[in-house]
Amino acid sequence: MINELLLQFAEWLYATGGSRAIEESFYLYNWIEATHVITIMLCLGMLVFIDLRMLGLAMPGVSAVKIADRLNIPMMIGFVIMFITGLLLFYAKPTYTIQSIWFRIKMVLLVVAFINAVLFHKRMKASASSWEFEAKAPRRLRISAALSLGLWAGVVMTGRLIAYDWYHCYRELPAWLGAAAGCVAD
Amino acid sequence: MELLPFFEWAETSFLGYIGKTYGGVYATFGQSIHLMSLAVLGGSVLVTDLRLLGVIMKDVPSEVVADQAHKWFRISLAFILATGIFMAAAVAQRMYYNDFFWAKMSALLVGIIFVFAIKRPLLKGNHADVQPWLLKLVAVASILVWFSVAATGRWIGFS
Repeated sequence: MINELLLQFAEWLYATGGSRAIEESFYLYNWIEATHVITIMLCLGMLVFIDLRMLGLAMPGVSAVKIADRLNIPMMIGFVIMFITGLLLFYAKPTYTIQSIWFRIKMVLLVVAFINAVLFHKRMKASASSWEFEAKAPRRLRISAALSLGLWAGVVMTGRLIAYDWYHCYRELPAWLGAAAGCVAD
Repeated sequence: MELLPFFEWAETSFLGYIGKTYGGVYATFGQSIHLMSLAVLGGSVLVTDLRLLGVIMKDVPSEVVADQAHKWFRISLAFILATGIFMAAAVAQRMYYNDFFWAKMSALLVGIIFVFAIKRPLLKGNHADVQPWLLKLVAVASILVWFSVAATGRWIGFS
């Protein structure tokens, strides 16, 4: 049911003029894609340094809260660029993407990473004054930082794999995988 | 010097064989780790350069930022080169005839020389001893050169 609705929505998007225009334009599509990828340096680059600081692996002599606070803004600017270009990439190839198992895993990882980030931020703010000048953050925050690195590595990998159609609906797939990928009976 | 035989050999080497034969290994160990390393490399470049430009972390000494970021720059560079060589080996003959591959290699060479011969020696000491305009010029040049490496790299796949 949900897969049928998602596909209908994707088909409606696909039929719009903007979607066709982006996918059919070599430079427009590829520059949106390149921007999406290159902004990894800004968005995830800042995120990596925040997490490494929490783990005691970068700038251990500088207040951890200060690092998180100062790098948060450039990270969010990068995130907004990645979000917008990501939406446009989806808009250009909605029917292919909605049935990509990698895209679906990526969305789940993004949600988990978001929840992890919110919890991390809350815990950090609540306890910061007691440890911010120590080389490593407390254990729970270190776990959260390591989880963040792992989740975002997963987001990068599944994002890259969207380009591959190894498990697309026109392949022979086990039923569970077909359902997970969003395949719909004709 | 004729390079084509080297590229032909690379494709038949063990690395080339693995990448060519196993698409999943190419996409995960090659492309995905290459991109994860890009996050760390780009982060270390931008953290330093934006600090030198006075955009971020103005209340953290720029020497500390530059030293710590350089440590991670070297680590990520090692990973990005290793995964890059692995990927190039698998499609070596196509790379030989791809203009953007050579554009990227040129930009990369400039980037590596720039970092180890100019940027790092300059930032090693006390930044107050360096002219402020020179620090800013180095930061802008650094951002431009690494952006070029990433952009031409992405364009290899489009051309």
